[in-house]
Amino acid sequence: MSEQATPRPARRSPERLYTHRIARWIDGRLGAAKFARTALNKVFPDNWSFMLGELALYSFVVLVLTGIYLTFFFDASSNRVVYTGSYEPLRGVEMTQAYRSALELSFDVRAGLVMRQIHHWAALLFLAAITVHLARVFFTGAFRRPREINWIIGCTLLPLAMFNGLFGYSLLDDQLSGTGLRIVYGITISIPLVGTWAASLLFGGEFPGPDIIQRLYVIHILLVPALIAVLIALHLAILVRHKHTQFPGPGRREDNVVGERLWPTYAFKALGLFFLTSGVLALLGGVFQINPIWVYGPFDPAEVSTASQPDWYMGWLDGALRIMPGWEIRAFGFEIPNPFFPGVLLAGVTFALLYAWPFLEARVTGDHSEHHILDRPRQRPVRTALGTATLSFYVICFFGAAADVLASTFGLSVNAILWTFRILVLVVPPVVAWVTYRLCKELSARDGLPIASQVTMREIPRRLLRGRAAET
Amino acid sequence: MALPLLVTAAATPAFAGLGAAGRPGGDDELVAEGRELYETGCSSCHGPDGRGVVDEQGERGPSLENAGEAAAYYYLSTGRMPLANSEEQPTSKEPAYGPEEIEALVAFVGTLGTGPDVPDVDPEAGDLAIGGEVFRANCQACHGAAGTGGALSYGRAAPRLTSAPPRQIGSAVRVGPGEMPVFGPDLIDADELNGLVRYVQYLQDPEDPGGLPIGRTGPIPEGFVAWLVGMVALLGVVAWIGTRSPIRRTRGSEP
Amino acid sequence: MTDPRGTEESPPVVTRPPSTGDDELTRRGARAERAAAVSFLLAMAAAIGLTIVYWEGGQPQAEGILLAVVLGGIGVGIVLWAKHFMPTEDVAEDRHPMESSEEDIAAFAADFQAGGSSLQRRRVLVATAGGACAALGVALLFPIRSLGPRPGRGFKQTAYKGGDIRVVDENGMPVHPRDLPVDGFITVWPDGHTDDADASTLLIHFRSDQDFQPKAGREDWTVDDIVAYSKLCTHVGCPVGLYQAELGLLLCPCHQSTFDVMRHAKPIFGPAARSLPQLPLGLDGDGFIIATADFSGPVGPGFWDRGR
Repeated sequence: MSEQATPRPARRSPERLYTHRIARWIDGRLGAAKFARTALNKVFPDNWSFMLGELALYSFVVLVLTGIYLTFFFDASSNRVVYTGSYEPLRGVEMTQAYRSALELSFDVRAGLVMRQIHHWAALLFLAAITVHLARVFFTGAFRRPREINWIIGCTLLPLAMFNGLFGYSLLDDQLSGTGLRIVYGITISIPLVGTWAASLLFGGEFPGPDIIQRLYVIHILLVPALIAVLIALHLAILVRHKHTQFPGPGRREDNVVGERLWPTYAFKALGLFFLTSGVLALLGGVFQINPIWVYGPFDPAEVSTASQPDWYMGWLDGALRIMPGWEIRAFGFEIPNPFFPGVLLAGVTFALLYAWPFLEARVTGDHSEHHILDRPRQRPVRTALGTATLSFYVICFFGAAADVLASTFGLSVNAILWTFRILVLVVPPVVAWVTYRLCKELSARDGLPIASQVTMREIPRRLLRGRAAET
Repeated sequence: MALPLLVTAAATPAFAGLGAAGRPGGDDELVAEGRELYETGCSSCHGPDGRGVVDEQGERGPSLENAGEAAAYYYLSTGRMPLANSEEQPTSKEPAYGPEEIEALVAFVGTLGTGPDVPDVDPEAGDLAIGGEVFRANCQACHGAAGTGGALSYGRAAPRLTSAPPRQIGSAVRVGPGEMPVFGPDLIDADELNGLVRYVQYLQDPEDPGGLPIGRTGPIPEGFVAWLVGMVALLGVVAWIGTRSPIRRTRGSEP
Repeated sequence: MTDPRGTEESPPVVTRPPSTGDDELTRRGARAERAAAVSFLLAMAAAIGLTIVYWEGGQPQAEGILLAVVLGGIGVGIVLWAKHFMPTEDVAEDRHPMESSEEDIAAFAADFQAGGSSLQRRRVLVATAGGACAALGVALLFPIRSLGPRPGRGFKQTAYKGGDIRVVDENGMPVHPRDLPVDGFITVWPDGHTDDADASTLLIHFRSDQDFQPKAGREDWTVDDIVAYSKLCTHVGCPVGLYQAELGLLLCPCHQSTFDVMRHAKPIFGPAARSLPQLPLGLDGDGFIIATADFSGPVGPGFWDRGR
């Protein structure tokens, strides 16, 4: 094989010498030049709302990096010890090794507390970013063919992230998170037939059980992050294969994608976004105290504090538990206890609808073609109205979780607040749906835009049941 | 009120006799001053004899027979008493009486029966860690892990502890005012009470190594900060880096 | 707007970055370059500051803020660089439908079919292999069984079972009725079982004016106006830690279930649907409070066969 004559690089530009040679070396082993060139030239639309998923991705990176640091100091053991460290109000108090290692990390390890706080803020923002990203994808119809698979992957990432957050802050074995685990146990045993088995296997017996911290540790640092990482990789690979969607605009068609090239512009914007996201997380981690476990004290199953709430992303579930009236089903000595309905059934229905949405919508509209141009929400009044109504339902549940804090902050009766939420949760979503629907129609009419689908609310049940046959 | 209710027919004032039956000792002058203040400010609801008053609407004011100095001190120093309208819930406000007047009233009420004295609280002698354990076992359920207060049912509330002086804390523990249960010396002894008060004082100015404490009420303010500070900042960043929708350039024209 | 589609055959046309003009840099560009350079320098300074703070012992706020400046400074510099000095004009790339051509799909199907025919024809093998795999799957589930014990009687009974067990406080000391003042409440456990999470019990000394009405058959379950209930909420199991002495209510802080102490702790508000189980009390020979039997029902949150 004769060597191609390569022009000798000029002496004045030394970097061309080395990078050129490295690139050739890699190509000699991977044959990557063509692939790399295609990759460099890939076009990404740079609308700001397409960067919300990146916020989640970069938060995840920060979680992994800070998390690795934390694993070097945390001791996931339920063995009981007596604290003799530097935080005076707990000296001489009995606690688990897990809790003690968290105290030592917070008080005695340099940069330990800031790493812990960055990690926790990153978790809160990871979920906030996923939520706004999900909303953007939903309201612009980016889940339609061919992106249903990515929608399913995303819908799986959401509960994985939620559970990992919950398990993560429960590792520390403080009073607040231990109360949360008690609630997890109670909800688990409410599942008919298998509930007590599931809880007993997960916890290793009756609550609290000797093993739960260690098991949650493995789940939190290994199983779920690995799953999330794999799913994110798939999510991005599919996105690259499909090319990103785009808003309607000049030069934008279903058979092209308009934006910036990956190299150099988009790559550097993405890199810059990563640094800025980490910067915001670092600022939060240093300036705002979060999860001060030393105030809560070590977990004791017979103690509890008022104002016990989970982290924000579990708020809708906790609020649903509070708002739900005391109804149970009991017959022949068997029962379906109260927590099953808001804790398992509502959650199950929520995620089932979320997963099914692209298929339900396709069935109702009869639209099974590919879409790469996004919808403007106002051109989809039904979808947008159902979306805002559902959001309003969960927002009310979310505020329901704060009922006792709202009561004590504003000097109100917590009973009155919960009664109000019971009414609001039924009344507000239909009102929001109606208002949104009318607003969409008004705005579309004013802008002279056609409504994208002629299906009205009334036709939905029939179309759902009969599918394609309903179109003919 | 969480005080035993003893309704008797209005008796002729016989304070000298009651004084002898109640606590011995005490400054007679102080008690006399207290009696004067009592007659003007308290007797209309608590009775000229301290045995309470019941009218057509019910109990206007409970008997103070076994209230003790501790209860009087607590209610007067937190401004919960005097209460203008007996139908209202007592709430904490500026005390109506100055410290010397409160001491006089306290001494007087103490002579009415056998209620608890204002406990001799010495926070410096208390163990902070033991106080913390007592606090978490008995107090945090209503007052919160950081003593920031909490909601009870039907509009009641457990108050913030962040500005209570030691004798007030001790008195409340022994008296169980309002909805608060009574914690007697068999449950929280004098040493534990010292520790408890020391811990509550610590909560009034605790260490916050993590930064701004944002209310010390747990995940709720944290969630607000995550969205209103963190997410807003990130959306600002994203708005700077990204472009606006191209739709705006096509207003009125075909999509 | 040019539409340089970089394809396999022809290289893309690189458009001019926004802040470079006919001269090297426009004024806007020069400003942007200065701002980016300052950002990077600030980041450097903050990084040095961070190492100093760490060397000196660390301080969380300084660490966080300095780290934020390092990361943010680099980020701002990079973004300014991209926005002003890298091509930002729109370019377009072709997009093709995802579906493969009919020929490709047919070719795939044919190859798969050809290779898979041996799988389909050997039915005996298919059946037995399927059986083996299914059996393996089932067998692999069994180690899961080791994760925890069978949910047994522990869900329905506590260490009070058997009766005549003293109640003790968290230090193991028995409780005499005179230890508990009127309007007082205390958490107790069975003697020797202060670590049992399911046996935590509330002893409440109610007032004589509070109209206590025991449930039928439980008239002798109290001692000297002291009543005992399980501390575990029947909703999802949080300790019902708030006793409102004036109103005689127990409030659970988790989801605001409220129980009426004077009416066998039946729920009067909130999501709990069952009363707190009551513990029958008595006195032993020394006058200490004992439990004469286990709770009136399984404690804590409900489960499928709680009533059996």
